[in-house]
Amino acid sequence: MTGTIRSTGRTRRDRHNRWAIPLLVVGGVLAAGCRSNESLSNAGIDRKPPVTTQPAATVPTPPPTSAAPPVTLAPGETLPPGETLPPATTAPQTTPTTATTMPPPTTVPTLLDALPKCDTTALDASSGTVDITFWHALSNVNGDTLQKLTDQYNASQTKVHVNLEFQGGYDENIDKYLQSDTGNRPDMVQMPEYMVQQMVDTKSLVPTQACAESAGTDLSQFLPSALEAYATQGVQWSMPFNVSVPVLFFLKPTFVRAGLDPDNPPQTLDDLLAASKQIVSSGAATYSVALDSDFDGGGGWYVEQWLAKGGNFYADNENGRAAPATRVLYDEAPGVGLLTYLKQLVDEGGAVYVGDNASGTDTLLKLADATAPAAMAVSTSASLGPVFAALGGGLIPGITADDVGVGFMPGPNGGLGALVGGASLYIVDKGNDAKAAAAWDFITYLDSAQSQSQFTADTGYIPLRQDALDLDPIKSKYASDARYKVAYDQLLGSADAPTSLGPVIGPLEQVRKVTAAAVADVLTGGDPQTALSKAAQAADDLIANYALANGG
Amino acid sequence: MATSSAGRAAIDQIHGARRVGRYALLTVTAVIVLFPIYVMVVGAFKPGDKLFDNLLLPNHFTFDTLKDAWHDGHLGRALVNSAVVSVVITLAQLITSVLAAYAFVFLKFPGRTVVFVIFIATLLVPLEATLTVNRRTMQSLGWINSYRGLTVPFLATAFGIFMIRQVFLTIPKEMREAASMDGLGHIGFLREVAVPLSRPTIGALGLFAFLTSWNQYLWPVLITTDQDYNTVQTGLKALKQASLDQPNLVIAGTVIVALPIFVMLISFQRQLVRGLTAGAVKG
Amino acid sequence: MSKASARRRWRESGLALAMLAPSGVILGMFVIYPLVKAIFLGRQRCGVTSCRTTSWHQYVDAFRSNEFQDALIVTLKYAVITVPIGLVLGVGLAVLADKYIKGVGIFRTIFSSTVATSVAVASVMWFFLLNPNIGVVADWLGGVAKTPGLLQSPDTALWAVSASSIWANLGFTFIVVTAGLQSVPKDLYESAYVDGANGFTRFTNVTLPMISPVLLFVTVVLTARAFEGFGEIDLLTSGGPKAKTTTLTYLAYGKGLPTSGDDGLRATVTVLLFFVLLILALFQFRGLEKRVHYGN
Repeated sequence: MTGTIRSTGRTRRDRHNRWAIPLLVVGGVLAAGCRSNESLSNAGIDRKPPVTTQPAATVPTPPPTSAAPPVTLAPGETLPPGETLPPATTAPQTTPTTATTMPPPTTVPTLLDALPKCDTTALDASSGTVDITFWHALSNVNGDTLQKLTDQYNASQTKVHVNLEFQGGYDENIDKYLQSDTGNRPDMVQMPEYMVQQMVDTKSLVPTQACAESAGTDLSQFLPSALEAYATQGVQWSMPFNVSVPVLFFLKPTFVRAGLDPDNPPQTLDDLLAASKQIVSSGAATYSVALDSDFDGGGGWYVEQWLAKGGNFYADNENGRAAPATRVLYDEAPGVGLLTYLKQLVDEGGAVYVGDNASGTDTLLKLADATAPAAMAVSTSASLGPVFAALGGGLIPGITADDVGVGFMPGPNGGLGALVGGASLYIVDKGNDAKAAAAWDFITYLDSAQSQSQFTADTGYIPLRQDALDLDPIKSKYASDARYKVAYDQLLGSADAPTSLGPVIGPLEQVRKVTAAAVADVLTGGDPQTALSKAAQAADDLIANYALANGG
Repeated sequence: MATSSAGRAAIDQIHGARRVGRYALLTVTAVIVLFPIYVMVVGAFKPGDKLFDNLLLPNHFTFDTLKDAWHDGHLGRALVNSAVVSVVITLAQLITSVLAAYAFVFLKFPGRTVVFVIFIATLLVPLEATLTVNRRTMQSLGWINSYRGLTVPFLATAFGIFMIRQVFLTIPKEMREAASMDGLGHIGFLREVAVPLSRPTIGALGLFAFLTSWNQYLWPVLITTDQDYNTVQTGLKALKQASLDQPNLVIAGTVIVALPIFVMLISFQRQLVRGLTAGAVKG
Repeated sequence: MSKASARRRWRESGLALAMLAPSGVILGMFVIYPLVKAIFLGRQRCGVTSCRTTSWHQYVDAFRSNEFQDALIVTLKYAVITVPIGLVLGVGLAVLADKYIKGVGIFRTIFSSTVATSVAVASVMWFFLLNPNIGVVADWLGGVAKTPGLLQSPDTALWAVSASSIWANLGFTFIVVTAGLQSVPKDLYESAYVDGANGFTRFTNVTLPMISPVLLFVTVVLTARAFEGFGEIDLLTSGGPKAKTTTLTYLAYGKGLPTSGDDGLRATVTVLLFFVLLILALFQFRGLEKRVHYGN
């Protein structure tokens, strides 16, 4: 009574074919006949064809002398053991194409005047406790340390109470903030370094400069490269909080086996190539350097950091800081030279390409490869603690935590000076002076010498101010293991040139992604100029579309 | 000729060499399927820096990683939130799906096919497509950071309607006629015949509904900004940024988060077996 | 007679409305309404604070763009790999565990267990297993698995992601097919046995037709999951290497893509994806439902 079993005269396969073939045909026609060879980022946009890269002759002022600006140390700072100042006359790998000085832009009036004001006296004037919410994206140890600092702050005074709210990760935090309307926004928010232009364009901020001026805060102890990374168009928009830079990790025993000095890792690109060749030819390791094309890692660094270290701009309008950028410049000679060098590093120097590094750990793990290890890897300074701990646990047989060396990320002109990674703190304009003042008060607490000392000692981040180093716990930590201080020292050497601050571009993450694709191309045998020109074309489109979408 | 619980048909028994062969095949495939889970469980009980020591053997044992994962992911409160949300969604989906499927199978009304197609089309709408608009709706309703926001969009699902409809369609017309001759109206038929006959499938749907809502990440993260409303998956995401020396924090977290599901699975097995032997009246 | 039947239909419609209302309201408000809104949003390009309407041509531009075409091919490949293999494996395991032998319950639990792992969990596990430096698979297989790694090589990445997805969906397929198998009346098998049919013939002539509704259901769900797959790609490969694992959903919601931060463009891609899915589902229904055998 359950029904009959239908026995069919035709087999199953016949019935399938009746639909499969037309389906395939339709699919094939649609897919093949329709490709327009345009980028998705241009969908719906009606623009004149993008401007081709202009020749260098249109640059208004002549390029400076070929030597890099001399690197000096701030008074009182000493060099970490084993490090030497690069000679001031080292010829750079490439010739900068744009001037290091530029007349103040006369077309932009003082932007600060047009922005929301900050009145820090409003905090004293208010009665009772001011409640503020702070959206952040730090998790694990980092998040716990932030929580500890917040609790300390809340307990130490009664004027301000901070509600700390973890939003997931940077991406989720960004999504939520951008999708919220004014009523749902927090009073303070943490945003990663690539969000500067977008945050400016939200027109939802009280620039921290306004509060700093109102309170008369002394910012002299702040590391310029950390502070100025978050200033553009003449305004300081946010305050750095968690700072990191890429550094070089290497295995000291491998260096010794190769006949290299383990206390003197290579700093210039020439040195890196020479050391690499030596490592491979001596058989000390299978590969010299592990290279990746993660757009948050190598794929971004090898262009951004190296252009900056070499005194070159990444984008026009002074890296987008004098006025919003309109195009990238890395497809010109300096950029091409850098990727040509990378290719050389792979072809002649025994470097190995480990892929897109989606996890962020592949370059470091290549050092741990039992059968075909590399000797060096560039990774973020935030990995220091975890790397030491993992090695201490026996990640690489026979290698202890002491066997790992840390050096500056090598670059043209040596390793001093780097673009900061990490995130910064923004004050949201809610039309409430007391809340803005309260947020500023909390920010100054988080950025105080003692807080920074505490925060950086517990996490892998770098102190953003010099006087933090005089205080425990970071003082003892650096004293006990100088390797932790390398990242900090690298930041000290940042020159004052505008090229030493990174690019400020609206769609910076997307630009990094197309640039990383070019790096991946080159590392798998592609031609540097072709790859970079293609990437620059895509990047310029992204920048132009961003400007269109954001009222530019 | 009903199949009694005691008398499995002779066709079901296999003996001798075939039995051994089947055990062998089952064991091999079980090992393959279980392997990643095994590695995960082993890793969850290892101290963080010893994870890579030997991925296969539990040569170090500690509860510390689990404790850390519990703490760092704020999994305690998150488990409560996830439990509440998942139970509510599961019950609601069962009720709405059974009702709708019944209407599509046993009731005649104009436009039935068109309405069904529209309902099923929602199965094809990717969740991500609805997120932004739904979030804005939640914002205007003021349901950010609330149980309502976490549950209401998922109280019904085309997946469930489709699944129950498939099984309702296997109920022969004759049964409906017999029931109406016995004086059972639609509701009665639903209650006395359709639902009991479909118990295994309804049970499976309940399990899936619970699972899907338990494992949901994107939606809960988007509409909560207050940590108190975190579900376990948000807690897991917090752990995901675990670094090189404690990558197994994530694994430990997933073991904790997956544990309730495993428990449910084991009980579901019994339910499934009980359901079919007691409820299946066919032939 | 017509009056009575008309009255019945009227009453049935009323009842139908009542029974459909709960699902209808929820689905309407939270799926259909956003979809309709998305269709209109898809002709806008959005910045950080506001959106600009371009034209309906945006849909055409997006469909014809390089990234979309590439992602479409990747998604189709992904579905073609995961759905048949997943189906066959699931049915195979369900049939394997269908006989009454001692301890089969344990095996059933094991085979269902992958359903307890969320996408995030499964991806994390497979990430560890496939890692070229520390994963066991790399050591066993050598070759590409070691350098540069199954997830890192453009030729194998999609297969590796597929393996993770097939494994994760195995539990689902197994449970649903098992439930379907349990509903097959045993007397049908016995009649076939009496008629002299062997195991294989019984399978093709009795089992398959009787579980065909369930198989259709699984196929549709697995296909939808393949097309909507995002989490595993986000966690395993971030869409790379060389965009070889960028599916349509990843194209809409992944990191660093043209759709980042642009709700309008995201809507364009997802609405296009919806229509692709719709066409596919229509083909599946028309092609497969004819072979599905129902009791009615």
